[in-house]
Amino acid sequence: MIPVRISAPIRILATLLFSLAVSVATGHAQENSCVTCHGAMPGKYGAPVPLWKSSIHAENNVFCHECHGGDPKDLGNAMKPDRGFKGVPKETAIPETCGRCHVGVLKDFLGSAHGKRLGSGGPTCVTCHGNHAVKKASLEIINEKTCTKCHTYERARLMKQAMQETEGMITTLDARIESLKLQGKASETMEQGLFNARNRFHTLFHNVIAEKVRSESAAIKKDLGTIGAQIDAIEQAEQKRKMVGAAAIGGLLLAALLFRLLGKTYDN
Amino acid sequence: MTLVRKLYDWVEVRLGISEVIEKEMTGYLLPRTINNWYSLGSVLLFAFTLQVISGILLLIYYVPDADKAFKSVSVIMNEIPFGWLIRLCHAVGSNLMVATLFLHMFSVLFMGSYKKPRELQWVSGFTLLNLVMGISLTGYLLPWSQLSFWATTVATNSVGAIPVIGEYLVEFVRGGKLVGPPTLGRFFAVHVAVLPLVIAGLIGAHLFFLKRTGISAPPTRNDPATTTRQGSSYHYDKHEGGIPFFPNFFLHDMTSVSIYMACLLGVVFFSPYLFFTPDSFVPANPFQTPAHIKPEWYFLANYQILKIFPSEIIGLTVQGAGMTFIALLPFVDRGDGRYPLKRPLFMVCSLGGIAMFIALSIWGHLS
Ligand code: HEM
Repeated sequence: MIPVRISAPIRILATLLFSLAVSVATGHAQENSCVTCHGAMPGKYGAPVPLWKSSIHAENNVFCHECHGGDPKDLGNAMKPDRGFKGVPKETAIPETCGRCHVGVLKDFLGSAHGKRLGSGGPTCVTCHGNHAVKKASLEIINEKTCTKCHTYERARLMKQAMQETEGMITTLDARIESLKLQGKASETMEQGLFNARNRFHTLFHNVIAEKVRSESAAIKKDLGTIGAQIDAIEQAEQKRKMVGAAAIGGLLLAALLFRLLGKTYDN
Repeated sequence: MTLVRKLYDWVEVRLGISEVIEKEMTGYLLPRTINNWYSLGSVLLFAFTLQVISGILLLIYYVPDADKAFKSVSVIMNEIPFGWLIRLCHAVGSNLMVATLFLHMFSVLFMGSYKKPRELQWVSGFTLLNLVMGISLTGYLLPWSQLSFWATTVATNSVGAIPVIGEYLVEFVRGGKLVGPPTLGRFFAVHVAVLPLVIAGLIGAHLFFLKRTGISAPPTRNDPATTTRQGSSYHYDKHEGGIPFFPNFFLHDMTSVSIYMACLLGVVFFSPYLFFTPDSFVPANPFQTPAHIKPEWYFLANYQILKIFPSEIIGLTVQGAGMTFIALLPFVDRGDGRYPLKRPLFMVCSLGGIAMFIALSIWGHLS
């Protein structure tokens, strides 16, 4: 058999045509042409698709064009500059790109030591969060491997320690409120309180001032403590109810026994 | 003379109350061999009274409006003092009452008490069972939770399988094409006004029949073959030489009522969510069907029957036939003799029927 060498542009064109045929046949042409075409491509043009599919962006329907521009509804013209196609955002444009949605974080970031070095060796959002496979942010992002790409881990460790306890408290409270909710307990105010505290906590991640992180964390922990106390009160009331209930049930069973004995005496 | 004595005498002179007490209480004789199964009727009277009282208390804060119902129930559970206790007693009580109804029915079934002359007791009783299940079904919608909404959607859907009028009937029951605010209005009216009155009236009839025939004596192995009364003239079962209702059997009744109440509180305090699912704490959302919507446990057999037949109409027919058979049992099973062990065919059929009901319910639960 004669080996056939197909040049790269022709391969890409063939893939495009094939994806076009597939997408038209399956009726998805109008849905998202970036995912359909790139998903069928080999190598670096197709690699981002599965990564994105695993991301928190995909989970929340944030598609390729939100960062890369272009028109995912028009397969033929999707990547034309006049359709807003930007390609890979420039390094200095990254915070702005993410900040279109993450508004509060952008402000915190730009004011921080990290943000002030934007374009001069400082990190951008993707340095810590990654790009296509971006996951729900957690404290794990602060780790020695990532931070020491640019500087020592010393201060980062301090900040992480200050935040770790708060993060744990938030997770525990979240689970406790959820279980109260499943029992029909009124949890709206606690939920709102936790939501506010969590938001305040998340802004802390980006200002990267160790001292501020420590003092703010303490204030947030105090608020979380108040929510925890409210949950404790509900659980204690429940416990007290159980004790009263046990006494009432005991009383009833005793009454049943007495009625029975009295009944027997009469029967005899 | 104490004040109470004076009061008693005052009433006595006017109403001759001691005669009533003598006739209905101390002089009302029951068979010496009477057993505890006979106290289930009193337990049911108590259970129904408890439902009425707790229901009236719930009415003080419950708002029968689709926009406010869920919130009002949540307020009752979380803010009103002892609201949780009243609501849980009502919700758990309805389940326990249905369970007790089954026990009462099975006990009179196995003791053959449905036979002549107590056919009307049985028919009125079986109608009561269905009405109590109906009042539970209508009450289920009132909290306007996801569970309420979708369980009612499923339950009312099956009415649509009735040929010709089915579609109109569903619309009539729902007050629209889909379950919505008008459904809540009608279910509320039926639950708090229509059915309680009808049930109370029918309980009155049930007790009237009991008073006129006299209570049965439990069957024994040595009963003569013809225990069911012959002849065509009216006769009251007097049980001469029996035990008085008061205080003797009244104390038995009180024992059973105390145990019933202990069971009720046991669930209310220690397993309050036994009859609730997480969907009962989420407000109704017509645009989001929850994954697993199942009816209450006592409807699971009906639910499963509808599912196993290829068409709903066959399922409905089978159920209708089964229910009619049970309702008319005393007119079908007219043989003499009430002692169950001497009636093998009856035993096989009833035990088989109960086993099938339980199996279908479990199947419905697991499916
Ligand atoms: C709200 C529901 C009901 C109430 C309050 C009620 C109440 C009573 C009471 C107080 C008695 C007399 C004491 C006893 O035998 O337990 C009785 C007897 C009886 N009940 Fe019911 N009952 C109800 C439902 C039913 C049902 C569902 C059935 C059967 C389908 C039924 C069939 C009978 C029969 C046949 C008797 C006569 C028992 C005898 O004389 O030996 N009842 N009921």
